Amino acid sequence: MARTHTRRSFLDWLLGTTVLAWLASIVYPVVRYLTPLPAPVHSGPERLTRGDLNKLDEKSFAIVPLGRKRVLVFRDKKQQLHAFSAKCTHEGCTVQFVPAQSVVWCACHNGHFDTEGRVISGPPPRPLPAYVVTKDKDGNIFVAPEKA
Amino acid sequence: MSDQARYGGVLGWLDNRYDLQPLFRFLGHKEVPIGRHSLLWYFLGGATLFFFMVQVATGALLLMYYRPGEATSYESIRYITTKVPFGWLVRSVHCWSAHLMIVSLIVHMFSVLLLKAYRRPRELTWVSGYALFVIALCFGFSGYLLPWNELAYFATSVGTDSVKSVPVVGQWLLEVLRGGPDVTINTLYRFFSFHVVILPLAIVGLISLHLLFIQRQGMAPPIGETGPSRGMRFFPNFAMRDLLLWLACLLILLVLAVFLPYGPGVPGMEWQLGLKADPLAPAYPGIKPEWYFLWVYQLLKEFPPHILGLEGPQLCLLIVSVLGLLWGLIPWLDRRARAEQESPEFSDLGFAAVFFLLFLMLKAWDIGATKGADEAANLATVARTCAWIVVVLAVAINVVRATVYRHRWFLLSGTEVLHVVLHGFAGVPYLVAAVIAGALGGFALLVGRWRTPGADGGVVRE
Repeated sequence: MARTHTRRSFLDWLLGTTVLAWLASIVYPVVRYLTPLPAPVHSGPERLTRGDLNKLDEKSFAIVPLGRKRVLVFRDKKQQLHAFSAKCTHEGCTVQFVPAQSVVWCACHNGHFDTEGRVISGPPPRPLPAYVVTKDKDGNIFVAPEKA
Repeated sequence: MSDQARYGGVLGWLDNRYDLQPLFRFLGHKEVPIGRHSLLWYFLGGATLFFFMVQVATGALLLMYYRPGEATSYESIRYITTKVPFGWLVRSVHCWSAHLMIVSLIVHMFSVLLLKAYRRPRELTWVSGYALFVIALCFGFSGYLLPWNELAYFATSVGTDSVKSVPVVGQWLLEVLRGGPDVTINTLYRFFSFHVVILPLAIVGLISLHLLFIQRQGMAPPIGETGPSRGMRFFPNFAMRDLLLWLACLLILLVLAVFLPYGPGVPGMEWQLGLKADPLAPAYPGIKPEWYFLWVYQLLKEFPPHILGLEGPQLCLLIVSVLGLLWGLIPWLDRRARAEQESPEFSDLGFAAVFFLLFLMLKAWDIGATKGADEAANLATVARTCAWIVVVLAVAINVVRATVYRHRWFLLSGTEVLHVVLHGFAGVPYLVAAVIAGALGGFALLVGRWRTPGADGGVVRE
């Protein structure tokens, strides 16, 4: 049966769309208000502080801030420096380096990564994202995001 | 307008102005059904409400001193517990009543399940109650972060990270929840807003709705008893008993709060302040979430990194979400109860759920682990020990069900016990054991070997 368009059906449609537009005008600002502003991307290298270097000497690892990211810097048995995201790829806990076993370990769900950031055991689904770590002739250590 | 001579004093003064007669008439007629089952089950909702009221009162007191902020959150909680007179007690009562509220909520929910009190026309009472349970968990989760200590920081990191598994909008939701990509002080500000404004408003609205449904429909009579039944007058008979129970709850709460001010010392049930949150410190060994989240925590561990083309945590949380949704839809799924018939399958489902959750909880607590032992050997020992506990408990409970309550339907709980046995005793991986037990259970269901038609398994009797 062909649908007839009456003045009433037009007014119903108009009222419905007006209510929707009214709701959208409330929801949209609230959603935008709740969405955090994007943080500036930190592309430059960050120098490790004296405190970080002390931690590196004492525990063989330090967790350093790089913009909003946290980076795990550690020294392996061959005294080689490595840097990876300190955020476990499983549920986002902060990982640590265990020098005795030469592994990166997440205490939350017992995830293990090797010194190249690859998953050895446990539930983490992906390797740890790598960072570039360099040491200058004065002994300063710098960490920077890996170039794509 | 009511007759002035009906009541004296203040009551008469109020009655003269507001006509209290309909209210008293309503209270006079309201009855609580007395059936084959224990009346005790009808008190659990009231006990939950009592603990919630304690939460509101102690939360208001804590707010007098608590200051959210990077330099103030941890310090203000330490000030409350060490300097403010009886501050330790107020915090202890707040924490204990939060845990007891969850306990009474869980027992209340399971009693409703076993009594089939969710059946038509009370479907929405179940749904609103389930929503209240979810909000109570959100209260616990948001309140956990407020002391801004190490445990709070990592528990929130793990808990909120799960949100990113939501398809399409996961990352956006995560950032909205955290106030950024990571857990920072912005997360605490948002959680504070949730904990003291948004969630209380939501829960008060839902409690009102839940109580309104109960007032309109009355308490559910035992299944199958459709005719006129005996009842206890709500006022004053039931209300006085309710008050007595509240008094007992208060005493238990105070004893626990005074003698165990920082919890029983079990991981997931302790609120020692510990160290201040440090986003640059690694997660410490032995970290555990609150006891009611332990099962999800352990389940996340049981999933391999990748499975069925998805990441392990994604599939795990998808399964948890589906199970959660099905739990909310029980009134519609249980078609026999809708027709006022016994539905022993759903009673057994409740017990299967208990065994499932209990095994994961015990495993998360590393029950049976020995310090210094090989990790793989320890995992096997823990699984075996937890399996023993669950099997012994399951056998004892099912024997009581069979002999005392005449239950005859054990397929789902039996399947879960088989799952635990395969994993704990035979060393089959948890998920593989689940698939094997599930397939066998499904097969048994199809051939109907364990099922006795018309068996009464669904009623909790005295």
